Amino acid sequence: MDDAAIHICDDWINIKLPDWEAIIAAQIAFSASRYWTEIVPGIDSIAVQFDPALTAPDEAARMVSKQLADRTVVTPGALPAVTIPVCYEPEFAPDRDYIANRLGIAAKDLPSWHVAQLHRVAMLGFMPGFAYLESNENSPAIGRLDNPRQLVAAGSIGIIGQQSCIYSFDSPGGWPIIGRTPLRLFDPSRDQPALLSAGQNIRFESISKETFEHWQPEADG
Amino acid sequence: MSITVIKAGLQTSLQGAPFTGHRHLGMPAAGAADCLSLALANFLVGKSFGAIGLEITLTDAIFQLNAPCSIAVVGAAAYVRINGHDHPQHHRLRLVAGDNIHIGPSRPGCRTYLAISAEIEAEPLLGGQSTCLAAGLGGFHGRALRAEDVIAFADSESSVESARTTPENLRPYYSDDHVLRITAGPEATGPNMPILDNLCLDPYTVGARANRMGLVLEGISLIASETSNMPSAAVFPGTIQLPPSGQPYLLGPDAQTTGGYPRIAQVIRADRHLIGQLGSGSRIQFVQTTAERATEIYREKLSLLSSWLGQIKLW
Repeated sequence: MDDAAIHICDDWINIKLPDWEAIIAAQIAFSASRYWTEIVPGIDSIAVQFDPALTAPDEAARMVSKQLADRTVVTPGALPAVTIPVCYEPEFAPDRDYIANRLGIAAKDLPSWHVAQLHRVAMLGFMPGFAYLESNENSPAIGRLDNPRQLVAAGSIGIIGQQSCIYSFDSPGGWPIIGRTPLRLFDPSRDQPALLSAGQNIRFESISKETFEHWQPEADG
Repeated sequence: MSITVIKAGLQTSLQGAPFTGHRHLGMPAAGAADCLSLALANFLVGKSFGAIGLEITLTDAIFQLNAPCSIAVVGAAAYVRINGHDHPQHHRLRLVAGDNIHIGPSRPGCRTYLAISAEIEAEPLLGGQSTCLAAGLGGFHGRALRAEDVIAFADSESSVESARTTPENLRPYYSDDHVLRITAGPEATGPNMPILDNLCLDPYTVGARANRMGLVLEGISLIASETSNMPSAAVFPGTIQLPPSGQPYLLGPDAQTTGGYPRIAQVIRADRHLIGQLGSGSRIQFVQTTAERATEIYREKLSLLSSWLGQIKLW
């Protein structure tokens, strides 16, 4: 491990890593340790926080290096894949025409274009359970909306190109919306409150408006 | 057994200890913005430092107590009036049902904590009870309090006989001028190194955009040599980000868990409770230190506080 990639900021340590497999492997290795009060994956880094009343920064940095050295390799697909049902009907996809236009495809072909791709959860952030996704396909840039919405409905799927996201709660947002899932991305009453976790593969599956409206919450996950 | 909100003020919410161990799920810390003031108030009513209390922001707020219990007020409020009569902060006040509690506006400072000896009923969430305002979870229906809200108490009242008043030497000094110590952030290294010298050169003033999520700082404009959009990475309360505007953004307890702006500095844990007292117009002088020194300062502070509060944590 290159020492320059480890940076101590008071009570947390930022670790730059070369790829997402290394980040997930680090997350698994850190999770087995009692030192860390938080373990937060980023796109090209991961951070751990410690309690400075119990652990000194140099000791924490040594533990990071040791745990990184001991980590085991994670292969793609090691985490269970998830299927996300999505309704692409216009009332759940307010930016359907905008996105189709940017991609240069017909609006009616948008669902099949979207479900054909494999996505990976890059990380969670922004709000509890909010997922940033990375597609395995190089799609053209779509870009953000010129005027962000004051209210994006929970479950909405935003897309700016190869990167997309799933809104876990009603919130403001500027990503063009391609569809909406009836799944609850975050439910604190579940054993695993967040539906998704970094490194997971996901596929989207097109569902009808009727299926969306009659979705039973207990079918989640 | 309850307390009724007569006037909620700008933002009053139920806050206690932060949520921990869930940032990788996008869950913000939440919790009391000024954890030290909350801890001092809680101690006077016989409660643990992170127990749920009412966090009152900037403007005055009025409550009516519907059961006999003890209260304590600690924070930036200009006055505390019970049934129209002034009472001191940092004192345990024994009240009866029907008493009216008027907590004055913050002057100087930003937040005040009302601790109550009875157990406040709050929504359990991920091992805590603080209000997560962004997601509308925890606390009182996941939101800030409004007039006519009635917050229930569990039957049990804390029976711990605590001291009546905080020692003078442990009472925080509320001010609009703060010194916050920082350590270098991950993006303040290499060609970005001079940023910290500029950040620490002159005081910054907190701008109009100031809330529990974060505060825009106005002062010397900073320029990161690396581009302003980097791959999103972890941030924490007290992280100072540098958006393309060049005006630093100081993250508060409700900040999101990841961000895409360079992280140029981190306010040290020992000073982080002061962020809760920053409001628009507050001035901050940043002073750089090292992580090693920051840990010593934190341990010294805990040691000083432990003589009165016992074993506590700050966040």
